[in-house]
Amino acid sequence: AAHGPETVDPVVRAHVYSLVSAIGGSGGEDDGRYVLGDDALACLRDIRRWLRLYDDKRQRLDVARCLAEANLVKGDLLEILASWPEDATEDHMRSKLAQACLEILVPITYPYNIEEENFKRNHHKHLNYLQLAQLGYKRDIIHHDGQILRAAVRIALPCMATPCRDRTPRDEGLIRFVLYFIRNVAEIAPPKNAVYDGDEAEVSRSSVIDALQNQDVFPFLLTIAANVKGDFPTQDVLVLEILFHMLKGVDPEQLFLEEEKLASKHTDELSDLIQKEKAMLASQARDAPSRHSRFGTMVWLQRDNGNMSTIFGQDGISSQDKAIRKMDSTKRWNKPKYRPRNVEEPGANDFDTKVTLSQSVRKYLHDFINEFLDSSFNPLFIHIRKAIESEADRVLGEHSRQYFYLVSWFLQAECLRRQSATQRAAAKGKQCAGKTPDSSPNDDNSFALVAGVLNQESFIALSRFMQRSMDDKAWQDLNAGMRCFTRVLLTVQEMADSPNEDDQEIAENIQNRIFYEGMTHDRMLALLRGYKYQGFGYLDSVTELAHVFLRLLERYSKQNVDMQVRIRSRARKKKRQSIPNNEDGDQEIEGDAEETRQAAERTSRERKFDFTRFATRFTNEDSVNTFVSLAKAYADLSSEQLKRAHRFFYRVAFKNELSVLLFRVDILHLFHKMIRGPGGLDPDMPGFKEWEELVRNVFRKVVKKLPDRPELVIEMLFKKIPGTVFYLEHGHDKAAMTR
Amino acid sequence: GDDNIDVGIDKEVEVVRKRKQAPKLDAELLLSANGIPKLRRISKERLRFKGKGHEYSDISRLLNMYQLWLDELYPRAKFLDGITMIEKAGHTKRMQVMRKEWINESKPKAPGEEDMER
Repeated sequence: AAHGPETVDPVVRAHVYSLVSAIGGSGGEDDGRYVLGDDALACLRDIRRWLRLYDDKRQRLDVARCLAEANLVKGDLLEILASWPEDATEDHMRSKLAQACLEILVPITYPYNIEEENFKRNHHKHLNYLQLAQLGYKRDIIHHDGQILRAAVRIALPCMATPCRDRTPRDEGLIRFVLYFIRNVAEIAPPKNAVYDGDEAEVSRSSVIDALQNQDVFPFLLTIAANVKGDFPTQDVLVLEILFHMLKGVDPEQLFLEEEKLASKHTDELSDLIQKEKAMLASQARDAPSRHSRFGTMVWLQRDNGNMSTIFGQDGISSQDKAIRKMDSTKRWNKPKYRPRNVEEPGANDFDTKVTLSQSVRKYLHDFINEFLDSSFNPLFIHIRKAIESEADRVLGEHSRQYFYLVSWFLQAECLRRQSATQRAAAKGKQCAGKTPDSSPNDDNSFALVAGVLNQESFIALSRFMQRSMDDKAWQDLNAGMRCFTRVLLTVQEMADSPNEDDQEIAENIQNRIFYEGMTHDRMLALLRGYKYQGFGYLDSVTELAHVFLRLLERYSKQNVDMQVRIRSRARKKKRQSIPNNEDGDQEIEGDAEETRQAAERTSRERKFDFTRFATRFTNEDSVNTFVSLAKAYADLSSEQLKRAHRFFYRVAFKNELSVLLFRVDILHLFHKMIRGPGGLDPDMPGFKEWEELVRNVFRKVVKKLPDRPELVIEMLFKKIPGTVFYLEHGHDKAAMTR
Repeated sequence: GDDNIDVGIDKEVEVVRKRKQAPKLDAELLLSANGIPKLRRISKERLRFKGKGHEYSDISRLLNMYQLWLDELYPRAKFLDGITMIEKAGHTKRMQVMRKEWINESKPKAPGEEDMER
């Protein structure tokens, strides 16, 4: 092997280049059309062999690099696929060529997800280049005049036409290859650490969906998804991946709000943003110097021991608050920040980053999702759940995450669809009252369209998944699970509110099952308490879940006054205690039978559910910290998120009488800053009044309590010691009350 | 001859100066005279609230008290950084014991309870 400045062994390069140039080319003759080389098919197969035997076997990436530099994709492969005439169904040679092209396109567009510890020297050498090259491939594929994706689908059609049991492994492989190809095109995204110098819009989500629509890929996907049980049992996870990479980060509201409403929402958004900016500038102007920058003001701040502190600049002159703030901001030293290692970098599986779509694409996707929900959602998602449960070979680690994310996505989409349908129906009813109502596609039974993920098996799978990712500290997985659970709760709630009695009954049943498990309650507590450095997307999910869960649980337990909860953990403890008793052997069969009967009773022990008690456990100091982390990002929160935080703090301080948990210097500082600035909430924002009221009431409590209880001055610096909370709140011990 | 000369006089002696350790904001500093004892004193002397209708300015005054106290105790850190560090120091055994004691001091004592605890 040659060493030196060459990026790739020259011999390898020469081999690959000669193969690429022998495939074919376009010249002056034939009006610049692409002309195949004499042995094009053999050359393509050779290239495939090179990729497999040199790159894959030795983990080198050299051949892929040469192919990228030789412009194989745009120069040859896409030309061959584009020139495959639609009517040439019988042309064996042409379809063989197309298949050969696809067999090269799939491996070179395959995303590189290499774990850092498996990096070889060559990976460092080639990876950045290749990732940018893949982006170029993606651009060329979706913008090529010759409908490349359509051609790819055509490769799979004859194989799909044969029934499942008659297909050869090669047929199966080809269908899978086409799906991989589409998946790759959907997944490729600009790498984070490299600069893409092309037009980002050309490789954006909108352009992908546009291409999928215009080249008739959606019907292909729908066919597979709807018939997944009979004809395509092993292609399910690939469709899942395609859906995931198409829909991640897309807000369903974008698709299902009516066009005018969306437009008005956008103008509202714009005016909101302008308003926000104005408020920001106003608050800056309040503190800005009113003279030029060399005006040279110097202020002394008198300290208690006769010392002075000196502060420069005009911003310190107008009030003590400002002077102190200025003094603080001029300090140079910063506390080193802790940066956790085990938090996953958001890569291709990131669904927290929002994506906006262009208007036409929104329409396409809306139609596709409509059809998908009507025809394919249940079969596909039931099938995948079973595959995940049986740990089929084709199921990979990330599939569960994608599955649960997509479940939550489609549940939300279905809810929005129902809402807009009922609104439309109401509007229509007003217009033409008395006429026969149209048979709308969304009758009352349309919850059936998503029923496949609302059965007991799904709940078990979901809670098992959440528990496992919690134990494994797989935060991004957990994030997907929490979103899914939140959405399930909301959907069931909507069902309970539906006018249809059957829906109500089913919803009642489901709620009963969800809330019956004591484990679920404990998990909610653990989730909310366990937030630490997992990132904003996770924080958003965990607080939303806590908010929704507590709200719905409160409602449900009010409606069902003697609600029972099953608890497991204590049962085991008792069982163990009773075992030695049995080993004495004195009580024989009778005692034994008695023992097992008791054990059976204990393992399914029930307890009456007490919401107040649960809510008190829920509002502990750790969960306060979680919500404080959320509130700290107040400048970037939506009004819905702010409301969530507001409700929680209100519950802590006034419903559960635990206001001491908020008596902390950092929290008071945050609250003060949020309302009074500088850089606080916008006073014209909806919900600002509520926040101001809440903060004022908390502050009033502090002011009232401090003079009576001097120890609070100290305790405000710290997390409270659990045993002292009651005394600090009420001024007497619990025991003292009963005395 | 060379055999009795090399005693290392010619070699330069390298003086390794230790980096000056920055003071730490820990339990010890907090329990020193300038720490929490002082905070207890000044809060009693100085904290006067205006009460209803002035909640925000009252809390602002409270926060300023903490900030100036912290600036004198540990001038190096910004306010919020310092608060975080103090919070962390509060988890030590020693601080916990002291905090409980301060709380107990202010409790109205039932007769005889004090002897039981000691």
